[in-house]
Amino acid sequence: MVSRLNPAWQRKSTSSSRLAEISARFLGTTQAATHRDDFCRAIPFLLDTPAQHWITDELGQILTQRGHPCTLCHPGEANPMEHSFRQAQAAEAPGSDEYCLLAVTCPATLLKYGVDHVVLLVPASLDGIRDAYQRIKLLSQHGAPDVGIVLVGPRDQHAAWRYFRKLAVGTLRYLDVPLLNLGFLPEQIGPGQDAEASHRHNFLARISERLLHSGFYSTLTMTTPRRNA
Amino acid sequence: MKLKIESAETPDREQLRSLLTEAAEQLTGTGTNILETRLRWDGQPLLLADANLHPVLVSFEPEHSEAALLNGLRGVEQLCNALPWINQVYEPLQQQQQPPKLVVVAREFPPGASAVLRLCPGLSLYRYRLFSVNGEIALWLEHLNPPPAMPAAQESAPRQDAAALPQEASNDILPPLSDAESAYFQQL
Repeated sequence: MVSRLNPAWQRKSTSSSRLAEISARFLGTTQAATHRDDFCRAIPFLLDTPAQHWITDELGQILTQRGHPCTLCHPGEANPMEHSFRQAQAAEAPGSDEYCLLAVTCPATLLKYGVDHVVLLVPASLDGIRDAYQRIKLLSQHGAPDVGIVLVGPRDQHAAWRYFRKLAVGTLRYLDVPLLNLGFLPEQIGPGQDAEASHRHNFLARISERLLHSGFYSTLTMTTPRRNA
Repeated sequence: MKLKIESAETPDREQLRSLLTEAAEQLTGTGTNILETRLRWDGQPLLLADANLHPVLVSFEPEHSEAALLNGLRGVEQLCNALPWINQVYEPLQQQQQPPKLVVVAREFPPGASAVLRLCPGLSLYRYRLFSVNGEIALWLEHLNPPPAMPAAQESAPRQDAAALPQEASNDILPPLSDAESAYFQQL
């Protein structure tokens, strides 16, 4: 019997850029080695407000601790900020970073990069998911990237699920865009609350696991941020 | 000095009128002139002139947002019909015959207003709250719809295809919601 899952919970078919990368990596070893430095594995984050930068900052640190060196980049801002979480001894040739986290607040910046994956940080409120819906609508009009959702500030996992379900059903019904649930950060945790640091770390670690497990990244060509000497 | 802020009781119509008159520049920007504080039309709205010499009708209701919107729409229709006369009577308009604008102030977002907003670029909605700050009554106004992205002179020009302008799209220019989408996101 063929199982029929609601498309909201299914991953979209593999994009052509991902297929090209897989093909280069496994079918043409020489070519892949030659071009390795040209690729950047970017995880684009669309923030609701600049105040959410702490999430991408800490996520970058966690990914680095887990053996996936990260560079954080805030493109499209007046003073683009870059920050590498790698240890000094791990500094390698340009292009060796496993991931580059792109944190932006403006959908236009993502459209400019032509990314095929986007993680939206969505405040857990009716206004928050309505705004997120409008952003997804805008993105879907320009190339329909895979969209992952992280709910920020729900009371508990049940509330997080309710908000995610509302948004996911809406995007599927009206935009034909399925969403990937990447997790949530409950209201009790936030930046600067040292007492909650381990609690916060656990939630962020769970999100990083889901990102890695689902291979949720965009492959950008030569868009790696400039490195500091 | 310590600030003691508390929410205040719903004002009566005259109290709200006087607070809105004081806050006229918050509604229509600097350079606003107050033409009438009590027009003898439904809801007895305020009539202002903004810095660009547009007559601006301010329709408000302490409680009933629907009534504020409907009275305002009715008032704008009357204002359109009376535009030559209005321009003659009120000197600050300088006989420019600019089209009128409507500002609706209510406690909540009037039902059905999102559809009207899409069709009326000259309509602005404000939600108000009253606070008591150290015993003084203060009016807090929240603009519910962003100002039109295009200047008034270009309002009648055909819109450019959004697909052609990916770099120019910004946080503030998000695609509008259809009626079905708006209804869907009304509640959790």
